[in-house]
Amino acid sequence: MVRATSAVGRARPQEAAGTSAKTYLAGDDKELLDCLRAGDDRCYEKLVRRFGPQVLATAKRYLRSDADAADCFQETFLTVFKSINKFEERSTIGTWLRGITINQCLMRIRAQGRRKEDSIEHLLPSFDEKGNRMESSSSNESYRIGEMIDTAQMKQLVRDKILELPDTLRVTLLLRDIDGFTTKETAIKLGISVTAAKTRLHRSRTALGALLKPELERLEYHAYM
Amino acid sequence: MLTCKEFDDFMVDYLGQGLPVWQKFMCWLHVKMCRECAQFVREYQRTVRLGKKAYDNPDEPVPDFVPEELIKAALFHKRSN
Repeated sequence: MVRATSAVGRARPQEAAGTSAKTYLAGDDKELLDCLRAGDDRCYEKLVRRFGPQVLATAKRYLRSDADAADCFQETFLTVFKSINKFEERSTIGTWLRGITINQCLMRIRAQGRRKEDSIEHLLPSFDEKGNRMESSSSNESYRIGEMIDTAQMKQLVRDKILELPDTLRVTLLLRDIDGFTTKETAIKLGISVTAAKTRLHRSRTALGALLKPELERLEYHAYM
Repeated sequence: MLTCKEFDDFMVDYLGQGLPVWQKFMCWLHVKMCRECAQFVREYQRTVRLGKKAYDNPDEPVPDFVPEELIKAALFHKRSN
C-alpha cells in the first residue's frame, strides 16, 4: 500500500490538504493512467516520452554522472511499470514520478558509499573566542546582487555551484530547498535526525552563499562597466 | 543577548517556523543589534532564493534532451520484464 505522504506517490502539501479521497488526475493524466493499467505498451511509451525529460532532469540534479542519471532513468520507469497499480492518485503522475526518481537517486548515492568529501570549513563563517562573527567586509547592498540578474546564465551559475557542494550537503539542499520537502521529510529520506538535517541544510546554504558571492560580485561589476 | 555563534545555531529555525516566540525574539533582537549578522542573514536569504529560482518549478517538465536510445532502452526493459 502506498501512502500519500510516502516517498512514492507523495502529494505536494497544497494537493494533500483535506482531500484524502480526491483524485488529482484529470484529462490526459487519467486517460494515460487507465491505459497504463490496462497494460497497453503504447501508453507506456507515451509515459516515457512525456515524462522522460522531467525524470532525466531530476536524476541529473541529484547524480553527478550522466551514466548514473541514465541508469536512474531506466530504474525509475521500471519501478513505475511495476507499481502502477499501487498509485493512489493523490498526486499528479508527474509528482509521483518525481518522488520515485528522487528515491532511486538516493538509493544509488547510498549504494555508491560514502566518498571522501572535500572540506567546506573555509566556506563557513568563523567566530572569535567570544562568539562574535568574523566576516570579511562587504557592502550593505551586496545582498541585492544576483536578485537583479535573472537570466539563464545566473541559473546555470547557481546550478554549477550547487554541484560543487559535497554530496551530503548537496542532496540535503536539493531535497529541502529545491524539491520542497519539509526538514522532517528530508531527515527521513536521508536516514538522519531532524537536528542533523538542519545542520546540513545550514552548512549547505552557507557554503553555497560563499561560493556564489565572488561570482555575483564579478557579474555585477561587469554589468555596470 | 545571544552571541553571533549562538544565533548562527538557530538560523534555520529562525528563518523557518521552528522557534518558540521567545527564542525568535532573541534572534530578532540579535539581528537588529548586530550589523554583521544582519548582513549575513540577507545574503543567506538571497542564496536560498537564488537556489529556488535556479530550478524554478521542479514539477514542470523541463526541455531537456532525452536521447532516443535511453527511451528505447526503457521500453525494452519494460517488455522484457
